Amino acid sequence: MKDVRGDSVKRQLAADYNIDISTVRSIVGFLISSDIDSIQIGERVDDVFADPIIEESSTNTLHLNNSELFPQSPDMVITIGFKPGVTDNPGKAALDGFLTIFPDAGVGARVSTYITYVFSGVPEEVEAEWLSKQLHNALIEQALFSVRGDDFPRIEYSPVEPSDYASPATIDLEISDDELMKLSEEGLLALNLEEMQTIQAHYRNPEVRSARAELGLPQNAPTDVELECLAQTWSEHCKHKIFAAHIHHVDTETGEDTEIDSLFKTHIMNPTLEMKDEVDWLLSVFHDNSGVIAWNDDWSICMKAETHNSPSALDPYGGAMTGIVGVNRDILGTGLGARPIANTDVFCFGPPDWEGDLPENLFHPSRVLRGVHAGVRVGGNESGIPTVNGAIVFDDRYIGKPLVYCGTIGMMPRRLKDGRESHEKNPLPGDRVYMVGGRVGYDGIHGATFSSLELTEESPSSAVQIGDPITQKKMVDMILEARDACLITCITDNGAGGLSSSIGEMAEYTNGCKIDLGKVPLKQEGLSSWEILVSESQERMTVAVKESDVPAFEALADLHEVEATWVADFTNTGLFHVVHNEDTVASLPIEFLHDGVPQLRLESEWKKPVHPLFTPPEGANHTPILLEMLSRPNIASKETWVRQYDHEVIAQTAIKPFVGVERDGPGDAGLLAPIHGSTLGLVVSNGISPRYSDIDAGAMAAAAVDEAVRNAVCTGVDLTKIAGLDNFCWPDPIESVKTPDGRFKLAQLVRANRELERICRAYFVPCISGKDSMKNDYGSGEKKISIPPTLLFSLFGNHPDVRYTTTSDLKPGESLYLVGESKQELGASELAFMFKESGKADGIGGEVPQLAEPEKNLASYKALTKAIQSGIVRTAHDCSEGGVAVAVAEMCIGGRCGAAIDVDGPGDADLWGRLWGESLGRIIVGVKQQNRAEFINVMKGNSLTYLGETIDGDTLGIWDGDELIIEAKVDEMVSAWKGSLDMTGGDQ
Amino acid sequence: MVDTPKVAVLFGFGINCDRETAAVFELAGAVSERVHVNHFVNGEKDLSQYHILAVPGGFSFGDHLGSGRLLGNRMRFAMREQLAAFVAAGKPIIGICNGFQVLVKTGLLPGKEVPDFEQRASLTLNNSGRYEDRWVTLEFDPESPCIWTKGITRIECPVRHGEGRYVMPASSDLDELDANNQIVTRYVDPSTEVGQGITDETLPFPLCPNGSIRNIAGICDPTGLVFGLMPHPEAAYATFLHPEHTRSDVNEEILAEGMQIFRNAVQYVQANL
Repeated sequence: MKDVRGDSVKRQLAADYNIDISTVRSIVGFLISSDIDSIQIGERVDDVFADPIIEESSTNTLHLNNSELFPQSPDMVITIGFKPGVTDNPGKAALDGFLTIFPDAGVGARVSTYITYVFSGVPEEVEAEWLSKQLHNALIEQALFSVRGDDFPRIEYSPVEPSDYASPATIDLEISDDELMKLSEEGLLALNLEEMQTIQAHYRNPEVRSARAELGLPQNAPTDVELECLAQTWSEHCKHKIFAAHIHHVDTETGEDTEIDSLFKTHIMNPTLEMKDEVDWLLSVFHDNSGVIAWNDDWSICMKAETHNSPSALDPYGGAMTGIVGVNRDILGTGLGARPIANTDVFCFGPPDWEGDLPENLFHPSRVLRGVHAGVRVGGNESGIPTVNGAIVFDDRYIGKPLVYCGTIGMMPRRLKDGRESHEKNPLPGDRVYMVGGRVGYDGIHGATFSSLELTEESPSSAVQIGDPITQKKMVDMILEARDACLITCITDNGAGGLSSSIGEMAEYTNGCKIDLGKVPLKQEGLSSWEILVSESQERMTVAVKESDVPAFEALADLHEVEATWVADFTNTGLFHVVHNEDTVASLPIEFLHDGVPQLRLESEWKKPVHPLFTPPEGANHTPILLEMLSRPNIASKETWVRQYDHEVIAQTAIKPFVGVERDGPGDAGLLAPIHGSTLGLVVSNGISPRYSDIDAGAMAAAAVDEAVRNAVCTGVDLTKIAGLDNFCWPDPIESVKTPDGRFKLAQLVRANRELERICRAYFVPCISGKDSMKNDYGSGEKKISIPPTLLFSLFGNHPDVRYTTTSDLKPGESLYLVGESKQELGASELAFMFKESGKADGIGGEVPQLAEPEKNLASYKALTKAIQSGIVRTAHDCSEGGVAVAVAEMCIGGRCGAAIDVDGPGDADLWGRLWGESLGRIIVGVKQQNRAEFINVMKGNSLTYLGETIDGDTLGIWDGDELIIEAKVDEMVSAWKGSLDMTGGDQ
Repeated sequence: MVDTPKVAVLFGFGINCDRETAAVFELAGAVSERVHVNHFVNGEKDLSQYHILAVPGGFSFGDHLGSGRLLGNRMRFAMREQLAAFVAAGKPIIGICNGFQVLVKTGLLPGKEVPDFEQRASLTLNNSGRYEDRWVTLEFDPESPCIWTKGITRIECPVRHGEGRYVMPASSDLDELDANNQIVTRYVDPSTEVGQGITDETLPFPLCPNGSIRNIAGICDPTGLVFGLMPHPEAAYATFLHPEHTRSDVNEEILAEGMQIFRNAVQYVQANL
């Protein structure tokens, strides 16, 4: 019988390290701790733990000692198991299966899992310790190994040790400023001096003191529970303090010297609120877990994108998985509960073939890619949510911090059966608050703050978490049934800040809550009060239920085998009141908790960066350049990765990530028909262009918005109903000793926000939900690596009929047109980076693509969507990285057909600019002969250039007037484009 | 006579194709209800009140310990009598993807005339070692007793699995299945002539996406009432879900070839129950 698990390890070692091992075999192990004796278990082992048709099983002996199964002594044996306390999903499932067979196994029954790899024919130079490091992550797993002749490793069951309970402590804040800062730093509070002083002042207020005395709390000092709760609620993560900051902005280019009161309010919130006055479909913006728009009279839709960068750097698999299942919960926690219907994933990594130095404690980019991909694959696929759109971007600087953007779209009925509108939460004082789903554990305490510390093998496993999609799926099923039965008055996700944030935020609705930490179910005993309150353990929602609905709600939880525990009540006392059994451990005024954080004051200064001008080499042959460009990781096909995502569960995906004759051409945007039997559609797309920040972060932001819109336009989106999500990932923009260039990085943020507003207003794309991650740096001093400032712009919108759409693959007999104009804009282009990396160019400088007249672009987008919606255009492709040459090559690949085009069009760009430039606003369109006249008529008044025709042959010919510039066979282009990121090591 | 068959579509524990499976039965003229597995286990719902049982795709219990095994066990141990009675009553059952894996692990497939709940086959890791979503071409045995596939020669639909390689210990078992026409559907090379695609020799990846022996994509029990397959016909219910739907002019017709499987069962119930 073929051992696929072992074969996969063998292939991966060959693909990543060029190591040829003769055979790798795998043994799956289960460590069982229960009241059932091993003889009984042995009799039933094939009923649970092994598949009698394809596997051999044994109990209480090492499989390896069976000479029939392993006639020859192996070269190496490596056994890998989870560290105690780390989420072991197979172990959890095994316990469930075990209890099905042995219901009397005892309440303390536990199962943990391990896997053993058995290697034969290992090359001499491969060391067992090195090999084990490639196969496990020491932060969450333990590995044992043996080499030729040693005793085989034997892993033991290790129970989770109870945590050390500490009674709530009183923290004296009547200390010097230096000591306040020391307290913040050593306690991982991440609060600055002004914030610490604000807290100090709160406890000096005589009214506060007398109120505290009545509750039996220390009068003039916080408890540790209160201080931790404030630190979480006031964290950058929860309060977006940089986006809310008061900024003094200086522009040395123009002489501008201004004050900005909150980038968020100025450039994101206010424009959206102004747009909200003009339309009736913006139902809920900014204040909920995701923004909600009315799709039609019956349904509303919402979308959210999140990042999980630091956790993914530490444990790519677990970090990315918690990212995707976490953003799913944001959707579930929107309104009274929306159903996640589609995911999008955008990743930024270091180059997968990186051969340069790797800073300490960082994984090689290829390993980050594999791990993140696996986490998102498992998280999305097991949750039954299709991954419909995404991107993978590569740049050296993401070695220091990968970016893992996970987005989810949700839908919900506009009204519930009892008439309530589903996008509004309506809890009342007296409603019970339930914690639903997983339990609270030591994992996820200060998860975010650990990310800034140096990590070693001794780091606690609490630094990272692994998601549990099945626990969450059960919870989603249950909550959606509870919603439809009208049992929910309020719901939110438990993410950053845990119960402290989730209940604390919901308590604003009723102006008060009382939480009993003693009721909270725990993964392990002994957690202290503050730990229970702020733990970020996964798979939990907080749900409020009217008292009269409690029996029905609890019955649903039982049916779905979901743990739901009454942990708090809503009140109207104005207090966030926390007890632990009998004792009050925290009491904070709701107003102080949510609005007490002082505004940051920051300095921003823009100086135009100087780059050596990109000058293309003279007399170059463009045909090999095309093949090289197609194999660049930023352009190459991501098929082997993306095909491993389920992109069509729910039977709604009308445009998939892969299109064309061989179903391997690129899809520009996702198009869904989520109502079965209906052709009404939803579009989802993304735009990201981080390298333009090297020249101007403002241009970077404009490019991201335009790309997301262009991709959506290619599907024939309804441009009167589109909404956007701004998701900023920045290096730390606060000037400090650690960040001497903070003013410049903040100025980049200012410019990006200004362009975001300008383009969104021009296109009428309200930003309805956003997110920022502002500390994406690694190390310090000369070794510091900062990511390029990156804005991911995600867009979703209405589509009138999914049948009337296009894909990028050329169809026989089409004429090709360029919508939009090519300008001389090669600055920071993929071409410039390619020549610079190979030493053939001095730099990437020059004009970066700009969006000077977005109104003109919008007019052509409107005309094009009209043509698509009338059915006369079936082919369109966004023109971005690699310009016209790459876009047309991809269209030939998708259609497996040749084309002859002439790039000698209007505008003043030179040949390099027309072939490879990345000017915005451009889409390449294919139109059948009989539809040409009508198409030209619809496009009248917009920039439209005839490029050429598809041809019968298998060659792409690109001409500049009379001169043939590029001549490439389709199959050459296919292998260049598909080869470079195929890291599978083969299919068998 | 049953005018409007009632379909129980299982859900819970990580099943995730329940909504679209329920929808396609409705589009085929039945009434569907998504029923939580535990509702049958605890007796709050009665399986005998339904005419068709569908076990949809998904990742029940995360497919840890082997795809479909844990849900298969819940059904094998807690729904045994109900399932046996359902089959004895001549009512159709379909398992798609994870549902097929579940039916194989419960022993209902390939099964016996009277179910004995013995596992005889397995579905295991694809030879590629990877979960993949890709469209395949299926061809059907015209002689099969399977009531679900009457009149279908060839369709296209997606596979979305990591464990779809059908295995049986002995080739004589496969010969017996073949002789009974229980090998209902197989992966074929789309370039072959329609009706001529079926072959015993395992086709190369990705034509046979998982390395399944004899290219087996789906099988039925000896009665032809219980049918399981790895590919997802429900995901090919509409013309606009086909990956090449933009390569021709707009097709006004919405329903597509994947529907026939569900229509067959609805018509069977209408004619026979």
